[in-house]
Amino acid sequence: MEAAQQASAEVGTRPPSPFAAPEVALPASQRLDKARFDWSSIPLLLPAVVLLAVLFLGPVVYSFYLGLTNLTLIGPTSHHFSFTGTANLSRLIHDPVFPKSLYLTAIFVVGSGVVGATVLGLVLALAMQRAVRAVSGVVGIIVMVAFMLPPVTVALVWYATSTGTLPALVGSPQSDFLQSLPLVVVSAADTWSLTGLAMLLFAAALRNIPREVIEYAELENANAVQRLSKVVIPLLRPTIITTVLLMTLLALANFTVVYIMTAGGPGSASMILPVYSYQQAFSFDNLAYGALIGNVTVVLAGIFSFLYARLVRARAREAGGIT
Amino acid sequence: MIRKRSLRRGAMVAAVAVGLLVAACTSPAATGTQNGKQVLTVAYSSEYVFLTPQLATQWWHAVGSEFEKKYPNVTVRYEPIPGGYNDFNSKLALLYRTSATAPDVAELPSALMGEWVSSGDLLALNKYVATSSWWSNYPESVKAETTINGKVYAINHGENTEALYYNVPMFKQAGIPVPWQPHNWQQIYAAAAKIHAALPNVTAFFAAGGTAPGVGAIQYNASGNMLQGSTNPTIYDQKTHKWVVDSSGIRETLGFYLKLAQNGWQNPTLTEALSPNVVANAPGDLAKGNIAIAVGSNYYGTAWVKSVCGPCWSQGASTMAVAKIPTINGQASPGNGSSYASLLGCWDLAIGAATQHAQAAWNFINVAQEEGNMLSAAKGAGFVPPDDQYWSAPSYAGVAPPFTHFFATLLPYSRLAPELSQYSVWGTGFEQATGAIMSNPNTTVQAAATIMKNYITGQMGASQVESLP
Repeated sequence: MEAAQQASAEVGTRPPSPFAAPEVALPASQRLDKARFDWSSIPLLLPAVVLLAVLFLGPVVYSFYLGLTNLTLIGPTSHHFSFTGTANLSRLIHDPVFPKSLYLTAIFVVGSGVVGATVLGLVLALAMQRAVRAVSGVVGIIVMVAFMLPPVTVALVWYATSTGTLPALVGSPQSDFLQSLPLVVVSAADTWSLTGLAMLLFAAALRNIPREVIEYAELENANAVQRLSKVVIPLLRPTIITTVLLMTLLALANFTVVYIMTAGGPGSASMILPVYSYQQAFSFDNLAYGALIGNVTVVLAGIFSFLYARLVRARAREAGGIT
Repeated sequence: MIRKRSLRRGAMVAAVAVGLLVAACTSPAATGTQNGKQVLTVAYSSEYVFLTPQLATQWWHAVGSEFEKKYPNVTVRYEPIPGGYNDFNSKLALLYRTSATAPDVAELPSALMGEWVSSGDLLALNKYVATSSWWSNYPESVKAETTINGKVYAINHGENTEALYYNVPMFKQAGIPVPWQPHNWQQIYAAAAKIHAALPNVTAFFAAGGTAPGVGAIQYNASGNMLQGSTNPTIYDQKTHKWVVDSSGIRETLGFYLKLAQNGWQNPTLTEALSPNVVANAPGDLAKGNIAIAVGSNYYGTAWVKSVCGPCWSQGASTMAVAKIPTINGQASPGNGSSYASLLGCWDLAIGAATQHAQAAWNFINVAQEEGNMLSAAKGAGFVPPDDQYWSAPSYAGVAPPFTHFFATLLPYSRLAPELSQYSVWGTGFEQATGAIMSNPNTTVQAAATIMKNYITGQMGASQVESLP
């Protein structure tokens, strides 16, 4: 053993542990430290692969193709359409509404998903940790009910609130906030509906923070703000990343709430990409162009997902985990 | 242990394989027959055309039952399509995409007739109308709605015309003599101003606008109808085949909206005027009794009667009266020479080009066009019947007097919007302009016209649009 330790010290490697199990020669199919492939897993995986291909990959690929055709809902190219190359892309570049729609989508996603629902969910989870049980129970139920409501109901509730209750509360009953501040109102509605999920994720993560860690910080005379910023938030980082991605994707895919409340209006003031895609496809009958705009949303979602995967992998490498 | 794991895995594989085989199935073929009878699929709007969904169901099933009694070898399969105007057209277009789902008979809006025809989804009906007893009773303007390049592609199911509804007690309180018939827009402004001064808490003039209700609302609200009464009502230039994005007519219409907004004549019902459901809610909005004047459609009066109740308003006929929409200066409108204006909106019955039962489909339309069914459609949907022999008939005029007969008399000078799919782009630009004014009375006609021009040009391209004097 001393010789082994000395040899390790000379080459700079960790000495073998005296508790390590002796090496046993196992057949390749049973070794757990090497990648294995079991052919009998193919039929078991096949249904899921087929479903993914048919319900996800196929439609996405076909949608990308349709975005480059002249397909319409009604009209001479509704049945017999053809590939038009980059014509739709050129139209997209010169479309004055598209950059505005992209910009509004960014505001909406960041405002309601990344910031709104994530921050509000975290605040609620932290507050409920300290609240009296009865209060946290009631608040939790209310917030979760908002999350579970169908998007149509969320839209109708906020439509009525923004055109009736809220103006009355602020002493301006003739005001119509949905007309004057459409993006703010639809963002608020989306935040309201997503906060429950964020709160749930953070509440579970907070329960997993060991109590001792907080107690150590208290013993070190850290105040509440320091405990939050230097202990709790760093420990919550993986959950924050996951929640931000989830809220981003959910906000990016939002169509129903915005369409029902404003249909992208007034004018194009709340014309986020999903609503604009719908308008082009089903109001203007330009199915192909609507598909192209939808494809932009898919690409954006793909980029966010890729960045998230990179971030998670980087963190795993930092922690010395399996990549 | 390892052997047990392999056996378990093998059993799972076998179970999945069997499951896949069991799950594989063939979809039932749409043969168009059932129990030896022909099956005729009839698609219709269940929520947008008739005054209530129950009336829609009632009417279509009544016609279907009568048809099945007459033709016992045919069964009717109903395809009600819920939703608003855009939802209905989208779903119908999707049904037409395959012959298996394409309906044999469909209720279509005339606004998109040109596009439906160019998509090849509709059957030409010339040989059928030649044998009908009622086609010759239809005014030429009604026939022209569904005739493209000499071929008849659909039969009118009912018309909508537009006029001014005004609240008689409010007019009397404001000291405006009734009955009231303005002859130009200045007289409308004068009446609105008097109402606003005498009754500041009511809406002096209710004019819907904005993009929320969709393009289909243009014909039912002030924007489309005031444009028809302007000095230049052209929407699509038939000579140049371009869409008009700026003209004296468009600016006069926007000026009308600006006048309402700047004088506060739209308040307190501005939210209702911008509502996405303004077309369906309009009879109810008027029935609330806080609107003095509104551009409205023929179906409002019918909606108020007890037998329809959409909503019930027993005082409707005694509270509201109607007046024609005048042209801006009382001038004769280009094209029809009338000094009054109205947009025409209609719903038609068409036979699908892919149908295997063309004769049965025509027989169904024939049954739908019989007097009793046409009049019950007029009552249930508030239509003006296309057949002019019914306009004065007690069974029609007596449904909701004085509204029913009055709106029928507007038919001869009413104009149809262009029957092209790009109309929805033009209409959205137009509604953006009206919405901009309604939301911001401090704007200008120039600013609103620029919004409209830029939007439509951006969507269609400069080669598709033009400005007229």
